[in-house]
Amino acid sequence: MPLVVRRGYSVPENLTLAGAAAAVAGSAYPFLLAHDGNHGLPCPLRALTGVPCPLCGMTTATVALAHGEWRAVAAANPFAYLIAALVAATAPVLTARALGWLGPPRPWSPGARRRTGWAVAGLAMASWLVQLHRFGFL
Amino acid sequence: MAYPGNAYPGDPYPGNPGNPGYPASAYANWGQRVGAYLLDGLPAWVLIGIGSLFASHSFLIYLLFVLAALAWLVYNRWIQMGNTGQSLGKRTLGIRLVKETTGEPIGAGMAFVRDICHFVDSIICYIGWLFPLWDAKRQTLADKIVGTVVVPA
Repeated sequence: MPLVVRRGYSVPENLTLAGAAAAVAGSAYPFLLAHDGNHGLPCPLRALTGVPCPLCGMTTATVALAHGEWRAVAAANPFAYLIAALVAATAPVLTARALGWLGPPRPWSPGARRRTGWAVAGLAMASWLVQLHRFGFL
Repeated sequence: MAYPGNAYPGDPYPGNPGNPGYPASAYANWGQRVGAYLLDGLPAWVLIGIGSLFASHSFLIYLLFVLAALAWLVYNRWIQMGNTGQSLGKRTLGIRLVKETTGEPIGAGMAFVRDICHFVDSIICYIGWLFPLWDAKRQTLADKIVGTVVVPA
């Protein structure tokens, strides 16, 4: 039997779902472990080598976003705005899908997958440059 | 229902009684996998938690509880999941770990190697753990290295 992927939700919706779960866990996490909000997920790359990764600052940025501190978001990781936009754009689709108003998503073409992959890779590189600058490597 | 029954043209999985609204997937979804992983860890954390109550009193008792947690890890995640495809968490969530090429369990040794390979998932800012959200075969990087997939049981 051939293995065929059948998804109930599209990839952006999956990411939003995971983000929602992370938001719930994240809002409980400081109460479980610390009250100062300074216990973000440590970046393994930075812990081991001192070099930041493209996602460094994302915990700080997300917390700032949740508190409406727009400038603090940009200072920590401006790409948090993009992720927030993705979540905001996807949430209605996700809701419609969960309520059965929308059918299952249509798979993207290989070309669309490849282009999106390159776009995400490009954004990750740009984010990495920002973080390298933020930590004084550039 | 917007898409009743399983009336998909060319649906390779006719009949999906557990979830009639959505077509069946060949692979376990990320939520199931996270749930299974958390459940696998729970007994170990409880053991370490109990042990830490004794830590100031007797380091030996604390050590025994930590060793018990380790023994649970070895039994549950490597021996059980390697030989049957199902740890406690995966059995509870109704999913199993198999070799992609054969569809059979991978054995305790490879289950151990797979958990070591989870290091790769963590070192890139934990992105590897999120790979099943978009990967075509819903594999983590450790799955790709070892050649495994997680499927509905």
